[in-house]
Amino acid sequence: MLETVKLTKSFKDKKVVDEINLYLQTGESVGLLGPNGAGKSTTISMIASLIKPTSGDVKLNGKSTIQNPSDLRKMLGVVPQEIALYEELSAYENLKFFGKAYRVEKETLEVRIQEVLDMVGLKDRQKELIKTFSGGMKRRINIAAALLHNPKILILDEPTVGIDPQSRNHILETVRELNQTQGTTVLYTSHYMEEVEQLCNRVYIMDHGKIIATGSKEELLSILSSEDTIGVQLSKRSEAFTDKIKTLPDVLQVEQTSEGLRIMAKKNHHLLSSLVHAAEKEGIQIMNYKVEIPSLEDVFLHLTGKTLRD
Amino acid sequence: MYPVFYAQFLKDKRKPLLILTFIGLSILATLIFGNSAWQTNTTVAVFATGPNAEEIEQKWVKLLNKDNENTEYVISEEGEAREQVREGKRDIAILLMEQDYRLITASDMPNIQLIEQEVHKVFTEEAQLQAIAGSADTAELREEIDRYLEKPPLTVKIKSVNGGELTSHNMGTQLLFGFTLFIAMFTIGFKVNGINADKVSGVWNRLNLSPVSKTNMYTGHLLYSFFIGFFQMAAVFLIFEYVMNYEIGPLSLILTIAAVFTLSSVSLAMLVAGFTKTPEKFNMVYPSVIPIIPIISGVYVPPGVMDNPVFTFIADLFPMGYAVEAMMDAALFGADWSEIMLPVSLMLLIAVIYMGIGINLGERSRR
Repeated sequence: MLETVKLTKSFKDKKVVDEINLYLQTGESVGLLGPNGAGKSTTISMIASLIKPTSGDVKLNGKSTIQNPSDLRKMLGVVPQEIALYEELSAYENLKFFGKAYRVEKETLEVRIQEVLDMVGLKDRQKELIKTFSGGMKRRINIAAALLHNPKILILDEPTVGIDPQSRNHILETVRELNQTQGTTVLYTSHYMEEVEQLCNRVYIMDHGKIIATGSKEELLSILSSEDTIGVQLSKRSEAFTDKIKTLPDVLQVEQTSEGLRIMAKKNHHLLSSLVHAAEKEGIQIMNYKVEIPSLEDVFLHLTGKTLRD
Repeated sequence: MYPVFYAQFLKDKRKPLLILTFIGLSILATLIFGNSAWQTNTTVAVFATGPNAEEIEQKWVKLLNKDNENTEYVISEEGEAREQVREGKRDIAILLMEQDYRLITASDMPNIQLIEQEVHKVFTEEAQLQAIAGSADTAELREEIDRYLEKPPLTVKIKSVNGGELTSHNMGTQLLFGFTLFIAMFTIGFKVNGINADKVSGVWNRLNLSPVSKTNMYTGHLLYSFFIGFFQMAAVFLIFEYVMNYEIGPLSLILTIAAVFTLSSVSLAMLVAGFTKTPEKFNMVYPSVIPIIPIISGVYVPPGVMDNPVFTFIADLFPMGYAVEAMMDAALFGADWSEIMLPVSLMLLIAVIYMGIGINLGERSRR
């Protein structure tokens, strides 16, 4: 349905997005994961035809949208990262304004406004000014404004940044409902791994402007099939012990946690005995040892050497 | 275009205080400055020093105050006069001498030049009379001249270009136009800044994705800024004309000039918005630049006082000088449509150029 071909954007000789190829199939929910500054928002802006790529193409059903984006725009609903609303107007007035801008017919606009307000759970607050809303409520109206014209493709750019858990759950539920019951194709960017795990069938992982991995959740997790992630609870912290663990054979990464260490290592039945041996030498007791079920966060750590929130 | 225009209107409808405050400010500033600074008499302290100080003071004060309606020269103590100038309580004091004078002032203000002209004229006239009389006593010669002028051999009657009575310049009217236009520029600027605010908040991008064209997005904002700026000016003029009984001239002509001025002010604000790109920077730059425009355009002083070539060149780049000139011509000298065509055309030229550059700059950052 929608694909990018070697999509590139440079700002003053710096490549922010570097030859990205991604595609969305009708009815799919696709996640675009990456830390801050990975190039997610720039990619989205290019896909949405808001900025022109330095090179590459965005195709809708095989047709380039770079020169003539009107067909794409009709099908597209974009939820920007910022609150793109008039704070001085009420939720209803904002939705009416954007509905008129999207040329939703007068007869259906009123009905549609009530539908989207219902969808985001703010029907009873529609007469209140946006500036009186909490961050989470603003984000929900931000989503509602993108849904007025019944878009077939919905692009959400980090829609849950800085909001309360209740609003986050509501937003995730709304997106899931749109995708599963209305068949809306979703491109969801976030640096919250758990949201993408919950919502998306397929995930693209981005770092430094490049796609570094892609696939379904299971496919991505299979990257770690030959590895274990082990949580170790220690009686005390020791830099010397951590350094020693890093030098053990098959240990790939060691991360300090509040309780002890998180070790990523190749599957190795002797690792536990090596750990115990090293701990004894340093006078440290291993209080707990747990092989964790790998998550996309672990995949990201494995691929980039850093966590998503770094 | 209509949804954008209407959204701006809704915002102001909810918070009309800014517009109402600016209308009130226009009226207040005109009443305060228009009635006091230029229409009341100025008092100038004079003093002499030396053994015959009193005699010198009496002689010159009598001559300085003769046939003078605008300025009153009063004898004062030297120390007190100097102190008042030093403390800024008076702009000027004059040290009188036998045949000469010295101006004592802290800064070169426009009204000092006017007083200097008056004093210079009196001293020059006295020097000429003394040269004719051949002595310092010119009283007799003065009386003789006065008697002679009661039945002059020829009289000069000054008429206006149209043959009517010559109209004297009315500073109150000039200030009314000046303040109204100046304060309207603020309203217009803050409205045009809505474009920058929309661009930063993301509303602009959202509209960009909608069927509303970019031209319509700009038109909606700029037309609303024009509408609200013009409404403010028209409201002030109508209040002065019909409520306060000011003579502001033919309304249709004045409002036409105001409309063209509004258009060029919208363009000027768009130019600043294009340069600044964010509402915060605009709010920093625009209010710093705008107050300079009426000053260098000579709006607060009588015509001819602002003659610095650099300032007048800079003033020519802004619409205010042209607008006030055209309005004064229409209000005081009965200028018709053809006579205001030049300033109106120049304002339109400014509008076209600034709008083009402003929009181009605003769009350049977004490519």
